[in-house]
Amino acid sequence: MRAPFTAADWAAIYPVGVLTAAALLVLVADLFSSRREQRYGSVGIALLGVAGAAYLAARQFGHNHDAFFGGFIVGGFAAVFQEIILIAAAGSLILYASIGPPQRVAGTTAIMLWSTCGAMLMAGAANLLMIFLGLELLSLGLYALCAASDRRAAREAALKYLILSSTATGFLLFGAALLFGATGSVRLADFVNPAFAVNPLYWTGAGMFLIGLVFKLSLVPFHTWTPDVFEGAPLPVTAFMSVATKAGTLAVFARFIYAALPATIAQDVLLPVWIVAGVSMIVGNVGMLAQTDLKRLLGYSGIAQVGYIIVALAGSTPLGLRYALYYLAAYAFMNLGAFAVAAAISGEAEEGAHLSSYRGLGRRRPWLAAAMTAFLLALAGLPPTAGFLGKILILATAVSNGYPWLAALLIVGTAISLYAYAKVIRAMYERPEGAEPSDVRPFVPLAWLSAGICAVAVIVMAFYPLTPSNILPLAH
Amino acid sequence: MMTVPIGDYVALAAVMFFIGVIGVIVRRNPLIMLMSIELMFNAGNLLLIAFAREWLQNVGQIFAFLVITVAAAEAAIGLAIIVTTFRPEKYVDVDDIRALKG
Repeated sequence: MRAPFTAADWAAIYPVGVLTAAALLVLVADLFSSRREQRYGSVGIALLGVAGAAYLAARQFGHNHDAFFGGFIVGGFAAVFQEIILIAAAGSLILYASIGPPQRVAGTTAIMLWSTCGAMLMAGAANLLMIFLGLELLSLGLYALCAASDRRAAREAALKYLILSSTATGFLLFGAALLFGATGSVRLADFVNPAFAVNPLYWTGAGMFLIGLVFKLSLVPFHTWTPDVFEGAPLPVTAFMSVATKAGTLAVFARFIYAALPATIAQDVLLPVWIVAGVSMIVGNVGMLAQTDLKRLLGYSGIAQVGYIIVALAGSTPLGLRYALYYLAAYAFMNLGAFAVAAAISGEAEEGAHLSSYRGLGRRRPWLAAAMTAFLLALAGLPPTAGFLGKILILATAVSNGYPWLAALLIVGTAISLYAYAKVIRAMYERPEGAEPSDVRPFVPLAWLSAGICAVAVIVMAFYPLTPSNILPLAH
Repeated sequence: MMTVPIGDYVALAAVMFFIGVIGVIVRRNPLIMLMSIELMFNAGNLLLIAFAREWLQNVGQIFAFLVITVAAAEAAIGLAIIVTTFRPEKYVDVDDIRALKG
């Protein structure tokens, strides 16, 4: 009997396998380490695993291969998304090492690695089973991570996330079942046949599948959970969630709209998604204005940022996909950087997420304040940062693809967001009235390192606009 | 032998799914909400198996098994989170079971 899978198939999931092995190793090593070295031991092993996975994923760039009968497609597209997800994992693990609670380190680290595996599977998933499996692996880990804190708010966030996100998964699954019923196949590549375009099962299925994805991306009608969950979850988990979930889901979304919809009906099916993205840019940015908690503010910011990325995909052109990837990579650095700064001024007991703890930061910690300014300028899309270049590219592609109204909404949303970001910058540099907040915490080297790397990346990316070219085809 | 037409399966699954959705929206007890979510998942499973038979494609049945497995994991994590949310102070320990010294 011939083995059904070839060596190349197994090679396709080496990066995921390395992470899984690292997670198991973390759990075993924890048994043999003393209480003092637990935290750095666990996170150290995890970071080595992430580095190994990043190396293996980078080697897959440019080698297209359909592994497991077209269930998992290796290539430029998956490799770029996997690198972004791994950057998010590494950044969050570093933050976890510097401010995470000392209890349950190994378990939390291992679950974070498994969640990363789920997101990486989503990056390469090309059939409905793999999409479902990756999404659930990512989400189940995140539910547990949200609850891994002694604060009551964290557990409430976990419960809220669990109920709402599972409902979205239910929609996605029902949509997937209808798509299978309409086409008789689970491979995305088999859905492209224009003959399906007249089948109401197909339309309903695609619609419910997209509702599930839009929920996970926290676009507008389904966005209310995001700020609450971001605020409640522990800070490193919020950092991870804000980038990895979006990257994984965007990978599935992009592959679905590029590779699974017949070209004749694609833009009709997707028109509601573009409208939702446009509304998200306004609602997310307006929602930011009233926030006094940095994590909540970044939650609302994330709603708008996903809107920007989806604008790049409007029209489903290859160039748009490249720009979306560029902006997503830039977003990963600016968001992780902002969370790293928040971690650097946090103690173990309380998180420095309230805006009042940034008052006068420019005088107490000038370098941190400068880095934070760079991240906020990038999120707002001002030069000289990667956010500016990314937004220009997205605007250009939206206009040339025939969606000028989306470009207009993007500009309006950006203008609104400037006020919210400027509020934080002003708080950092204004002369404090009365007593200066005396929360000068001990130097947190890892969080500073993370913020520094992200700051350099956000500036450097603005001058080297690397947009990966060989990311197509997404399915065969 | 009488076979049930595929439209009936789709209708039943749709009814199950919407009972689940309404349950999540209306009920305020987290356990009932989790049950409603399971109902949504099982509506999807029913569709997958019905269509697997319709198309003679076993992948639908495999998908349903995958969903059952994942839903079990989801229920486990969900129940754990519900317990920690609503009983933060009391913890369960077999050493505390000392009332009966039989």
